[in-house]
Amino acid sequence: MLEIRNLHARIAADGTEIIRGLNLTVKAGEVAAVMGPNGSGKSTLSYILSGREDYEVTEGDILYNGESILELDPSERAAKGIFLAFQYPVEIPGVATMQFLKVAMNEQRKFRGEDELSTPDFIRRVKEAAASLQINPDMLKRPLNVGFSGGEKKRAEILQMALLEPKLCVLDETDSGLDIDALRIVADGVNALRSPDRAVIVITHYQRLLEYIVPDSVHVLYRGQIIKSGDKSLALDLEANGYADIIDAAA
Amino acid sequence: MAAVQETIDQVALIDVDQYKYGFETKIEMDKAPKGLSEEIIRFISAKKNEPDWMLEWRLEAYQRWLTLEEPTWARVNYPKIDFNEIYFYAAPKSTPGPTSIDDVDPEILKVYEKLGIPLREQEILAGVKTPRIAVDAVFDSVSVVTTFKEELKKAGVIFMSISEAIREHPDLVKKYLGTVVPTTDNYYATLNSAVFTDGSFVFVPKGVRCPMELSTYFRINEKGTGQFERTLIIAEDSAYVSYLEGCTAPQRDENQLHAAVVELVALDDAEIKYSTVQNWYPGDKNGKGGIYNFVTKRGDCRGKNSKISWTQVETGSAITWKYPSCILRGDGSRGEFYSIAVSNGHQQIDSGTKMIHLGKNTSSRIVSKGIAAGVSQNTYRGQVSTHRKAENARNFTQCDSLLIGDKCGAHTVPYIEARNSSAQFEHEATTSKISEDQLFYCLQRGIPTEAAIALIVNGFVKEVIQELPMEFAVEAQKLIGISLEGSVG
Amino acid sequence: MNMQTAITMTAAETVLVDAYTAQIGELPGEGAVLSARDTLLADLKKQGLPTRRVESWHYTDLRALLRSVPAADPTAFAQRVDPLVDGSSVLSVLNGKADPKGAPAGVNVRSYRESLIDGVAAADLVERDADDAIGRINGSFVRDGFEIEVTEGTELEQPLELQLVQSAGQSHMRFPVTFGANSKAMVIERHLSVSDAPSLVTTVCDLIVDDGAEITWIILQQQGEADSHLAQVNFDLGANASLRLFVINAGGKLVRQEVHGVTTGEGSDFKLRGINLLGGETHTDVTFTLGHDVPNTTSTEVIRNVLFDRAKGVFQGQIRVAPDAQKTDAKMACNTLLLSDDADFSAKPELEIFADDVQCGHGATVIDINPTHLYYLRARGIPENKARAMLVNAFVDEIVEELEVEAVIEPLEAIIAIWLEKHA
Repeated sequence: MLEIRNLHARIAADGTEIIRGLNLTVKAGEVAAVMGPNGSGKSTLSYILSGREDYEVTEGDILYNGESILELDPSERAAKGIFLAFQYPVEIPGVATMQFLKVAMNEQRKFRGEDELSTPDFIRRVKEAAASLQINPDMLKRPLNVGFSGGEKKRAEILQMALLEPKLCVLDETDSGLDIDALRIVADGVNALRSPDRAVIVITHYQRLLEYIVPDSVHVLYRGQIIKSGDKSLALDLEANGYADIIDAAA
Repeated sequence: MAAVQETIDQVALIDVDQYKYGFETKIEMDKAPKGLSEEIIRFISAKKNEPDWMLEWRLEAYQRWLTLEEPTWARVNYPKIDFNEIYFYAAPKSTPGPTSIDDVDPEILKVYEKLGIPLREQEILAGVKTPRIAVDAVFDSVSVVTTFKEELKKAGVIFMSISEAIREHPDLVKKYLGTVVPTTDNYYATLNSAVFTDGSFVFVPKGVRCPMELSTYFRINEKGTGQFERTLIIAEDSAYVSYLEGCTAPQRDENQLHAAVVELVALDDAEIKYSTVQNWYPGDKNGKGGIYNFVTKRGDCRGKNSKISWTQVETGSAITWKYPSCILRGDGSRGEFYSIAVSNGHQQIDSGTKMIHLGKNTSSRIVSKGIAAGVSQNTYRGQVSTHRKAENARNFTQCDSLLIGDKCGAHTVPYIEARNSSAQFEHEATTSKISEDQLFYCLQRGIPTEAAIALIVNGFVKEVIQELPMEFAVEAQKLIGISLEGSVG
Repeated sequence: MNMQTAITMTAAETVLVDAYTAQIGELPGEGAVLSARDTLLADLKKQGLPTRRVESWHYTDLRALLRSVPAADPTAFAQRVDPLVDGSSVLSVLNGKADPKGAPAGVNVRSYRESLIDGVAAADLVERDADDAIGRINGSFVRDGFEIEVTEGTELEQPLELQLVQSAGQSHMRFPVTFGANSKAMVIERHLSVSDAPSLVTTVCDLIVDDGAEITWIILQQQGEADSHLAQVNFDLGANASLRLFVINAGGKLVRQEVHGVTTGEGSDFKLRGINLLGGETHTDVTFTLGHDVPNTTSTEVIRNVLFDRAKGVFQGQIRVAPDAQKTDAKMACNTLLLSDDADFSAKPELEIFADDVQCGHGATVIDINPTHLYYLRARGIPENKARAMLVNAFVDEIVEELEVEAVIEPLEAIIAIWLEKHA
């Protein structure tokens, strides 16, 4: 589903190179964890996948279902099924969450040449998804992410993911700022979306989240490269022994 | 960065000529000769069959006006206006004054149809969805028709053109006209007092809640004319009225002057809600043409616990210079000002409000949202002051500006004057651009740039939109979109 | 200006113009300096003192407020006092006469009188703009002051105090100060009065803060209840330079402190902190303009005002962001405690923005003492008047605390406490 080939990327404003020859393949149905110490390029990877224009790809390619997505703008990538759950979901004052969801769902449908959702159909879908994530419907009347607690913001991200039905989900540090109950709800939400035709990339610093979202593969990102890949035992190994050994071994 | 840059580029390319109300209708007009003099004022007064006292009032204002100089303190620039080049009176020959709907020139009815303003009561009644709104249609210098007059009369509400009111209800007009905005108030108000041609008059008697929305639709059609409307709204004890004005003009290379005066009087426990959707022709992309909108609007909360609320959506005009204000005279009275001011192209806006706290326990609230794009200049100017005896005055002001592109300017000039130790004033102002993070977030959810900006801008102005009567809120949102056309869909 | 061609001069205007004619022979400087003085006085004569019709003087009608001007008093006597902060270097100006001795190492000082005499000063004696009444009066009459240079890289361990002591009559002083690149210094500009006789003091400080310099400048104004104080600080901030300007007004009858700055180097930071303690019949105006002229500069302004009696206070603050001055971050706040029904305060915080990628904001509040706080203190057994005093103190001490240096904070807080005790 996703193939990243020898990717090099830098910050557009000052030219700092962040991603330096990254290779990663994620198959449909797979849950891949990308782990790494602070500053290794984890969040940058999520931004580059979703097309944030603050970064420039200087070399290599990103293939999504066999097609390069580098020329696509972020909304086109999203409509094609790439979803990023933000580490820090953005507040948009004055725009009710419901309104936002409706615009996003319908714009994506429009892009794919599908009919807009009818209002009752839309409301039904939102209600169902909200209930499964234990989201109070009142929260959806409030402006998007404005005044939401950390846990509410992350749940709202997963709600959007459930409603937009993406094919490739990128979760950027979704566990940060969550207490154990919220973590469980969010993880259940993600697990419910696991399916043979959907891939998930879980970007995380700690192993904790992976206890709840058990990955099929684990990749260690360091200085803009994947320096080691393995199965879920690699995450446990990292938890016990830290990154130092793997970094030394790769050096 | 790039997405915002793209937006800016698009805005820069905007043809303001997308103004969709810019059509002109050929209608034979009866005009006063160009220019301003005592004779012209006598001519206007005679055309309107006015009583002598009204003519005297006008002439006095004219004498006063001759001694005044044009104000220069606002942050707007324009060449000196030649008052001898303006027609101060222009009325359709076929419909020289208010009449019944069947007698209105069909050409004029077509104009209003084209503007989406239904004037035939039966048509309005036939529409199931549209709520009923009484309309006073002012075409250049005259009101051509006022709808639902009879029905309103049954409720005790007087709604008619001010010319009719001067003839039919002279005592009421005499009692209130010029008591909120005196003829000596300022250059343009004084000019208006001398030459005003039409406008609306509303009187809601004691205890009456006006059964429908009232509105006036102003249309400047004739070339070279100025429009000088005068509106007077009185709500007696415990009365309530909601009033809306709309305005459009054809697209022309010359600048046209619109200098209106609006006076509101709210007695004990009365409430007046006044909403404006101002969409005069803004000029073309090179800043040629457009309306000079120099307006004095003031409400007097004369009675205890009275309330006046101004809501404005300002998207049109080459230059806007207006400060709808509240004099909070009655104890416990409340004033509100909600404003959205969108400037694009070469537009210049200097607008805001004054909240003058005179009575005890008065409160006011100001929410102003300015959006500047193109090479426009957008200024908020507002005053909040308490009198020494105005115990427990409260004010809250929130004043936000959004810049789209780096060729425009957004300015905030508040005057905060506290003269009583029990006053509590809170003023907050911010200026920023659409955040890259917000835009990216929307894009990532599959919302294309233009739709994303529309969404964010509408979120930015939400607080004010909510204050508009429901049926106009949607219209206003669309208008804001059109005003930022090219960037916002 | 559309002033009438021949204005009727007020008493103060007459005294100023006559005084100039009388003093002309003894004012230091000739040639270019003299003609610069003549030009300034001619403008003063032509336009008169500014009235409320002049936008920047809207709340301080100088023409109406400056009723009289005390005559110069050559017999008046003033002497030095201990510095505010122990261990400071002190440069004093006693009744307008500067003594350039006492500068620490790395600081070059000469009296401004010398600059006037040798003509170097001629370039300074110009109006900022058409409304610059302070520049006009000061420039016409200036006799002394200091020209100061803090050399490149100099780091002053102890504050440098400019001690300006006035007993009566008039003093007009100028202080062009250059802080060399990467220098660090704290300067205390201290205005004192040692008699009840009225006096008129005007000062103009022109500060150039070169690249990388870190400067704290404190203005402590404690003139007498009958004094008029017209002061102006102009500053220019170089790249990565920082200037913290503290303005504390705790005296004077008619006070106008202007602060005008521009950022001309990227990465510079400016902070204005103001405390206005206003009581009696004072009229005190702090007027501030800042031009963010280049990208990537920051500023914050916080003004706290406490008013008693029949005091009148004014704060005008204007932040301008030039086209292209992207990434400007500017925040201004003005908070007022009005503690008397006869006092009044007017604020005009302005933003004038021509660049889009900026974060700018201002806030202004007029409030009363928080009743919950008051109740809490009283519930702990503190009598109401004492509790109020504590809360008022806390309101302004917050600003002083930002100085972080205990040796400076202590004497300032003591001055504030004594002032509040006297007026509360």
